[in-house]
Amino acid sequence: MNIHLKAAWRNIFRNQRRTFITGTAIALGLASLIFSDALVKGTTDSLINTATGSFSGQGQIHAAGFRETQETSRVIAGADAVLARLAGDARIKAFTPRTLNFAMASSASEVSPVLMVGVAPDSEGNFSKISEAIVEGRFFEDAATGGGRRANSQDIILGAKLVETLQARLGDRLVLTAAQAGSDDLAQEMFRISGIFRFAIDEMDKGMVFVRLSKAQDMLNLNKGVHQIALSLKDPRMASDETNPLWKDYSSEGNEAVGWPVLFPQLKAVSALAGFATAIIGILLFGIIALGIINTLFMSVYERMFEFGVLRAVGTRPGGIRKLVVYEAGALGLLSSGLGILLGFVVTFIVCKTGLDYRGIEYMGVSFKDLLYPVMTIEQFIIYPIIVFLFTVLVGLYPAGYASKMSITKAMRRTL
Amino acid sequence: MKRHRTRRFAVPISIVACIVVYCLAAGLSADGGQGNATAEVQTILKRIDDLYRSRSSTAEITMTIITPNWQRTLVLRGWTRGQDRMFVRILSPLKEQGVGTLKIGNEMWNYFPKTDKVMKLPPSMMMSSWMGSDFTNDDLVKEYKLADDFTSRLVRPEKAEPGVIYIESRPKEGLPIIWDKTIAAIRESDLIPLWQDFFDERGTLVRSLRFGEVKKFGTRNVPSVMEMIPRTKEGYKTVIRYNKLAFDVPLGDEIFSLRNLQSQR
Amino acid sequence: MSKMALRNIFRQKRRSLLTSLTMFGGFVLVMIAVGMTDGSFNGMIDMFTRNSMGHIQVHAQGYLDKPSLHKVIPDYLKVGQKIAGVEGVEAWTPRVFSAGLSSVGDKTAAAVLSGIDPSLENKAVNFDKKIYEGRPLAAGPAKETAIGRGLAKTLKAKPGDALVFVTQGADGSLANEKYLIVALVDSGNEVADRSSLFLHIADAQELLVLDGKAHEIAIVAPKLGKVAKVKRAVEAALADPRLSVEPWQEFARGFYLAMQAENKEHQVSLIVFFIIVAVGVLNTTLMSVLERRREHGLLKALGTRPGRLFRMILNEVLLMALASIAIGSVVGTAANLYLSRHGFKFSQGFTFGGMVYDRLLVEISARCYIIPSLLVLAAALLVAIYPALKAARTDAARSIRYT
Repeated sequence: MNIHLKAAWRNIFRNQRRTFITGTAIALGLASLIFSDALVKGTTDSLINTATGSFSGQGQIHAAGFRETQETSRVIAGADAVLARLAGDARIKAFTPRTLNFAMASSASEVSPVLMVGVAPDSEGNFSKISEAIVEGRFFEDAATGGGRRANSQDIILGAKLVETLQARLGDRLVLTAAQAGSDDLAQEMFRISGIFRFAIDEMDKGMVFVRLSKAQDMLNLNKGVHQIALSLKDPRMASDETNPLWKDYSSEGNEAVGWPVLFPQLKAVSALAGFATAIIGILLFGIIALGIINTLFMSVYERMFEFGVLRAVGTRPGGIRKLVVYEAGALGLLSSGLGILLGFVVTFIVCKTGLDYRGIEYMGVSFKDLLYPVMTIEQFIIYPIIVFLFTVLVGLYPAGYASKMSITKAMRRTL
Repeated sequence: MKRHRTRRFAVPISIVACIVVYCLAAGLSADGGQGNATAEVQTILKRIDDLYRSRSSTAEITMTIITPNWQRTLVLRGWTRGQDRMFVRILSPLKEQGVGTLKIGNEMWNYFPKTDKVMKLPPSMMMSSWMGSDFTNDDLVKEYKLADDFTSRLVRPEKAEPGVIYIESRPKEGLPIIWDKTIAAIRESDLIPLWQDFFDERGTLVRSLRFGEVKKFGTRNVPSVMEMIPRTKEGYKTVIRYNKLAFDVPLGDEIFSLRNLQSQR
Repeated sequence: MSKMALRNIFRQKRRSLLTSLTMFGGFVLVMIAVGMTDGSFNGMIDMFTRNSMGHIQVHAQGYLDKPSLHKVIPDYLKVGQKIAGVEGVEAWTPRVFSAGLSSVGDKTAAAVLSGIDPSLENKAVNFDKKIYEGRPLAAGPAKETAIGRGLAKTLKAKPGDALVFVTQGADGSLANEKYLIVALVDSGNEVADRSSLFLHIADAQELLVLDGKAHEIAIVAPKLGKVAKVKRAVEAALADPRLSVEPWQEFARGFYLAMQAENKEHQVSLIVFFIIVAVGVLNTTLMSVLERRREHGLLKALGTRPGRLFRMILNEVLLMALASIAIGSVVGTAANLYLSRHGFKFSQGFTFGGMVYDRLLVEISARCYIIPSLLVLAAALLVAIYPALKAARTDAARSIRYT
């Protein structure tokens, strides 16, 4: 093996303290990069999840034209087939069907227009945060989960602000009036308030009521039809990608599948800004880490000018010195990257398990009951180490040149 | 995300008017039914049922609406035929003169002379809140078979007055009727209703309907004044007075047509 | 001691330079980072406040909680004039609201009416930019209307069509009127656009029988940072218990909370900056102390007390930190000034509510100086304790022999 390489490798371990400090500095830099990246991915996911996870989902399927017209008769074509397909689709994490229509809700003393949402208790319970937002009463239960309580088709769940407007209480009667699908006939049904939720979002707390899907379908004469299937994806980033084939796959036969950027352009705008800001921070972070590497590496070379002077004195050629320094930088870079990968993995892993606690923030009443989790990806552990390694070697070139060109006497004078 | 205001949707007074007339014609004050009431109760309820019901009718009505923010008096002319046809024209005040509402089955149209516009109401707006009057959805939308939908019995309240029969009625289980019970007071001598109170499930009196000023219209004696008074909010009242009322008048199809609606007469 | 510290610094030029460079670099980068996160934060808020709702809103007491046609600001012009005179108010604009039915041809749809003053609304929230088809509303009442994208679709309407709007007036009367559609509007809020309808405020007042009254006055301040101050000034100027003045944090509460959450993630990156700067300082300072063991041993042998040695090391680091901060402030300020004008350009700009977003501007404030200074000072001093202790504890006898 090349003598310089051997010497470089040995040099690293000769002064352990120096190597340790320098190596740790670089390793910390790498670990920070990995962790920050993971955290950013986790937080971006978190912001989107916050906005879409409460109820709307990362994407939705409707019959084409439903979003604009909101016509009750426009149900999803071939809903059963679509649902079956979603169940078997590996890209889909969860989904749930719903009916949506405008209705009037009346209590004994007041009347209010509402959006009536028919939900399937099992899939909806797993999908949206309604059950967590319940402050009085309970979410829908079926015989299977409810400990024997019979599924009551008259159950209705509504927002705290709406209950206030209607001057009603848990357990009170409520009559919903709505126009049936396809005809102008009006349907009127009696419900009993079985749950009250609080999302701290006005639109939901003031304007939405939830009933059982089957009841809504009967009432509206929908004949098993549904208006919307809400989706959440295994890879949330797929949802923000409008060109992803997933959307085309399900936009067929008169249906339309779109992700949240299309459903909520405001969210898309905010997310774009936030993403860009984060990217800039990343660059700045990179800058400071680069400085850190320069700092430590330069120090470790300049420290040993005396040594290099001696080497030159005994006959090592300038090129040899250069090679030596560069190889040292490389070896250090290698070691540090290894350490950095390990550190980065450990820290990120731990935080992945414990999560970051932002629960002090009462937003939407539910979302920050979830902790913030960083997201680990393979790229983080390949790309960043490579970048750090290359950079370390690059940085080593300058002092290498300096060391190789320095006059022997000057080097041996030892002062810096 | 942006906060979004939800707003109640205003509904033209004409709808209020026509629906009031409609429910009067159909006897939708919905108190009492057959079921396990005694024969006496049954007779009384049937009488009340049929008080305003006829195959067709014409009427001229003065409706006064009082709210904490404003007060209005409208004069309306109405025609009804069967249970599903109705036409109402506003005669006064001047600003709304000529506004008309036509209802055939579940479809409803409004006409506004000022803008010369016929507007078909989207089905969802048909039962919008009544910014004007104090009659609720319950009164309007579905017509209940009085006989089948309530369980009634005679009661004797504490402050019972002589010569008055009191009937308590409860809607049968499962029906979309918001009241837990109503108590109606009927004059024993001529079986004319005096008043009706509506209660919610907690026993709170939510609103009262008062009948008064019995008059003879054609061959019938009916109360010519109806007052609806909400009890859970202050300062609201709606008073309806029949100035003219005729039963079983022959009415042709052309009255219940869009052309008539737009004719402004 | 500071003299010695100063001389020590210059004696080890390269080391000092590297240490200072790390601190300087950290300072400038954090300055930019803080300015940029503030800028993006404000940018996001402005997206919704400056461009539609306004920074501050004035209503009748209780309106925000339970909106009603009858909860009005009486004589809005007078109120508006008072507001215009308040220092810090960049623009104000009145609004009247109602809900009713709109109809074009044989299509009918529920609509939410906003009566606005077109010129004031444009000045305050760039209303005209939201128009994507047609022309702006006339400056005076002309029975014209602009409708939202979704509403136009439902009614199958376009500029040039006649629209009839029906609602209930403040006196209970049936209000109906015909208007000419002159513009179609996209506010960025898809849901709102499905039912939004704009009239000239005087037309709306006439329709609703609300002479001289308004439901809302929106106010725009020049900078988000000034909102609290302007809000107080407006309150003082109006001095009317019947009116309520709210900042955007109140009337856009959900949005506000979301922004707060967003901000927290940036705090984590500050921690990373801290660590890196700290490690850099530790590295060089430690090296320097180790190198000068002999020197310190000598000093101790001569009678220097450990405490003084300790402070000397710290002073060295402190002086370098202060120098870095000073120079860093100058360079950072220059950088931030440039970035506050030109900003970071997006790779892909986007349009939202008629406004084009293609760059991120930096926001300069005291925070840009305070946070990096604290960060650098804390990192440097905390980390210097270890080497300083080492220096202080140098064994005089052994150190002198150390080569």
